[in-house]
Amino acid sequence: MPTSLLYATGLVKRVSTATGELTILDDVDVAVEQGAQLAVVGESGSGKTTLLGILAGLDLPSAGQVWLDGAEITALDEEQRARVRGRSVGFVFQSFQLIDSLTALENVMLPLELRGDGRARQGAREFLQRVGLAARTTHYPRQLSGGEQQRVAIARAFACAPKVLFADEPTGNLDTRTGARIADLLFNLNSEEATTLVLVTHDAALAARCGATLALEAGRIAGVQR
Amino acid sequence: MTLALVLRFAGRDWRAGELRLLFAALLLAVGAVSAVSLFVDRLQRALVVESTSFLGADRVIDSSQAIPERFRDLARAEGLRVVDVVSFPSMVFADSNSGRADGRSQLAGVKAVTPGYPLRGVLRVADEPFGASRVTSGMPELGEVWMDSRLFPALGVAVGDQVLVGHARFVVAKVIAGEPDRGGFSEFAPRLLMRAEDVPGTRVIQPASRIEYRLGLAGDDDRLAALKAAIESELAPNYRWRSIRDTGQDIARALERAESFLLLGGLLAVLLAGIAVALGANRYARRHFDHVGVLKTLGATPRDIQWGYTGVLLVIGIAGALIGLLLGALVHWAIIAALGDYLPRSLPWPGPRPLVVGLVTGFICLLAFALPPLLGLRKVSPMRVMRRDLAPSAAPFVTYGFGVVGSLGLLIWYSGDVRLTVAALVGGLVAGGCFAVVALVLLRGGRVVGMQAGSMWRLALAGLQRRHRENVAQIMIFGFAIMLLLIMVLVRTALIDEWRAQIPEGTPNHTLINVAPDEAASVQSMLESNADWAGELTPMTRGRVSAVNDVPAAQWSRRIRSQGVSEGERGPGPRLRSERPVTFLARLPDNNLVVEGEWWTETPEEPAISLTEDYAGHLGLALGDSMAFDIGGLPLVAKVTSLRRIQFESPQPYFYIIFSPGAMAGHPVTYMTSFFLPPEKKPFLNELLSAHPTVTVVEWDAIIAQVRRIVASVTQAVELVLYLVLAAGTLVLIASIQSSRDLRLKEHALLRALGGTRKLISGALVAEFTVLGAFAGVVAAAGAEITVWALNSGIFELPTRLHPWLLAAGPALGVAIVATVGYLGTRKLVFSPPITVLREV
Repeated sequence: MPTSLLYATGLVKRVSTATGELTILDDVDVAVEQGAQLAVVGESGSGKTTLLGILAGLDLPSAGQVWLDGAEITALDEEQRARVRGRSVGFVFQSFQLIDSLTALENVMLPLELRGDGRARQGAREFLQRVGLAARTTHYPRQLSGGEQQRVAIARAFACAPKVLFADEPTGNLDTRTGARIADLLFNLNSEEATTLVLVTHDAALAARCGATLALEAGRIAGVQR
Repeated sequence: MTLALVLRFAGRDWRAGELRLLFAALLLAVGAVSAVSLFVDRLQRALVVESTSFLGADRVIDSSQAIPERFRDLARAEGLRVVDVVSFPSMVFADSNSGRADGRSQLAGVKAVTPGYPLRGVLRVADEPFGASRVTSGMPELGEVWMDSRLFPALGVAVGDQVLVGHARFVVAKVIAGEPDRGGFSEFAPRLLMRAEDVPGTRVIQPASRIEYRLGLAGDDDRLAALKAAIESELAPNYRWRSIRDTGQDIARALERAESFLLLGGLLAVLLAGIAVALGANRYARRHFDHVGVLKTLGATPRDIQWGYTGVLLVIGIAGALIGLLLGALVHWAIIAALGDYLPRSLPWPGPRPLVVGLVTGFICLLAFALPPLLGLRKVSPMRVMRRDLAPSAAPFVTYGFGVVGSLGLLIWYSGDVRLTVAALVGGLVAGGCFAVVALVLLRGGRVVGMQAGSMWRLALAGLQRRHRENVAQIMIFGFAIMLLLIMVLVRTALIDEWRAQIPEGTPNHTLINVAPDEAASVQSMLESNADWAGELTPMTRGRVSAVNDVPAAQWSRRIRSQGVSEGERGPGPRLRSERPVTFLARLPDNNLVVEGEWWTETPEEPAISLTEDYAGHLGLALGDSMAFDIGGLPLVAKVTSLRRIQFESPQPYFYIIFSPGAMAGHPVTYMTSFFLPPEKKPFLNELLSAHPTVTVVEWDAIIAQVRRIVASVTQAVELVLYLVLAAGTLVLIASIQSSRDLRLKEHALLRALGGTRKLISGALVAEFTVLGAFAGVVAAAGAEITVWALNSGIFELPTRLHPWLLAAGPALGVAIVATVGYLGTRKLVFSPPITVLREV
């Protein structure tokens, strides 16, 4: 069994399209140690998001294996993968993915509630305070700016102390200044919580803040920088 | 997921308005079904009470032998109320000692009753013969009699005078104008009502006297059934157990049809509400794809999702069912209050069934129609949070399978009628398939036409074609809802017309019998100059069957019994050996239809007879059978050459047995006829009976009025159910438009953002809904025509005909309803800033 917190080998992802089979990932290997930060970069359509989804256990590869926090998630069914996610994984998405019908506080409470945490409300409040939104707990997503929504999403991601945080273009929907603040918040919390970070981005500056960068090109690894 | 978490999720979804459509649909399902069931249950009980007044009791036991004391004791032990009724013909004499009368006599139908009579229905009395009548709760005192109006001129007596019945003398206390259980054709003799306790004093009951004993019973159905079970083995062959369904076929058939109709209405309301629930649940599920995607990334397992949403559904189900029941109860009270004038004064309380029906309907609707789309949520890929195009693949077979099985179970349980249910369901599925094809063809055709149209229509038709899958579904749903409404309107109209046709205004309300041949001309002329309508005089005599196919009648009856079906077990019906009126006619009577064999076109050489089909059926008689009769002591043999069906049952007498003309040559006959006399001309009867004291007048007014009252009540109930189905149909339309609202909103908001004017967008919306409504109307009209044809011919046994106006009315109705509801439901997007709309969706 690999010793890395996140380890993937020989990942291939193919999909059937009207024009034939399309290979999105082709023989990709990844290893991320506990507490490390990896940026995945590449052009649109290079397979970054697909790779993130497979590494996080949201999707299965056509071939290859993934180990996450000691479990070979590619050998698990969706029920078991969901448990691994709930235990070990946090997410931050480009489009925030907050639930419109819930307040900021309820959105952050959600993973804690699913885990059966009796202190969900208190824990969520603490994290909202840490991301600077203590005064906006009762606001709904549509009443918050893009930057505020992403802060709520970051609070939600860290609320249940994940071992690995997957971030998919976390600043992609934000202006430069707000994006920079969000990036600061993300990296600060990451180091405070000693979380492993896997970040998909177009932003070279953001990628540069990570300890390692993996470049994808047409589904294949074009280079790795440490 | 814990219950607390499920409740929290349900609360949050409710607060966000996500569950409201589903909840409203569920409320309507439970509310409509329980309101219909409650009302129908109470109305049926009331109608049964009303119609049982025809029997004067809930059930009766008839016999030509005295009713055993044991029956009475058992009935009382069951907590039933009982009365005894003894009927027999007897001569009544005016008491010449009273000073005014001159000792005239008249044959009367004596009815002697015990206190408590009648158990159902009312007695009507008048202070003078043929005078205005009123309801009374009393009955003759000991030593008193109440007499039919026509006995007064026949005997030459007045109220207060004395008459003799056998050896006893009685005071005539009142004029009896109506009794609930006045017999049919056999009881022509004018009525004399007295107390049963007075009968022994008359000494008229002798061995071999023609007496009918009747025990009237009233009480709960369960107790009546228990009594019947207890005495069943002792009934046949001497005692007959009868309920309203065994008597007065016209009323029974009207009730059966009304029940079928109300049932059909209830079924359609359930189906419509089910569709509304399915649409609401679909919308809820679609709006939760993202929600579920996020939950899964946060660690929710498919099982968590499945049980979580099932839990939310259960919470909604319990709340919806309970509030729906309350709503149903309120609606049914409101209906009763609104229809107060038309309903019986005191409606009996409902049984528990309507409430159970409402609750079970709610939960089955949820399980069959709402659970499948929600269960689909467990398949939402967590990757959807990054790639929104990943919608869960639908499993239509399972989804529709749930709905079909659920509907089938619900309908069979609700109706208790597998035939009606399977017919409705198979019809519905076939219609659905046809609708889909027609809708697709119409949409394609619309696109072609749209290319040549103005921009508004082009936009609308292009949109319809682009979303053709959703639109075919929507046309089917609209079409189905409109079709169900049209079906209800058509069947209701046919039913009510049929009922009203049974007793049109001016229906003959008197029958005149015992007209001697030498009086015929004079009677006919009096009737023609005084009655508003008078029929032709028909010859008649009384006869008894002595043999069938050379087998003596008694043996023939035994043979039928030995075949395992006794006369009694065939249901109450005419008895072979009873003496009954017969006639001979050249022309088939108007309300008769020959169903087997042929009516004689000219006088046949051999005597022929025509029987009613129920008479023949009861007694095992068929075409070609030879029947021997004893008519006034003279023998007559004739062959059965045709079987007839009485088409419109009315209180008019009809003949089980009609001879061919000439068959009865040489036999003494009297004549009978029917005529209509309005209430203000009633005194003419005095004049008629004074001039012809030996003729007998039978009045049918009370029965006609009773039938009319029942028809009016049933009509009200039928119309009410129609309105409830209309409400359910409208909710389906709203739910359907709501469920497609998001898609339309997004598309049109984008168009507005790209520069489309409000006028263009609102015009395109109206155009789109107009086209959808028109297409739905076309399929609805076709579907309704076919279904109504099948229902009328198969279930309601009503005449079938085409309704060409439907082809115009269907689409017009579709356009009017769909365009109005659709525009009202989506106009918000026309008047909201595009950015607000885009954010919202």
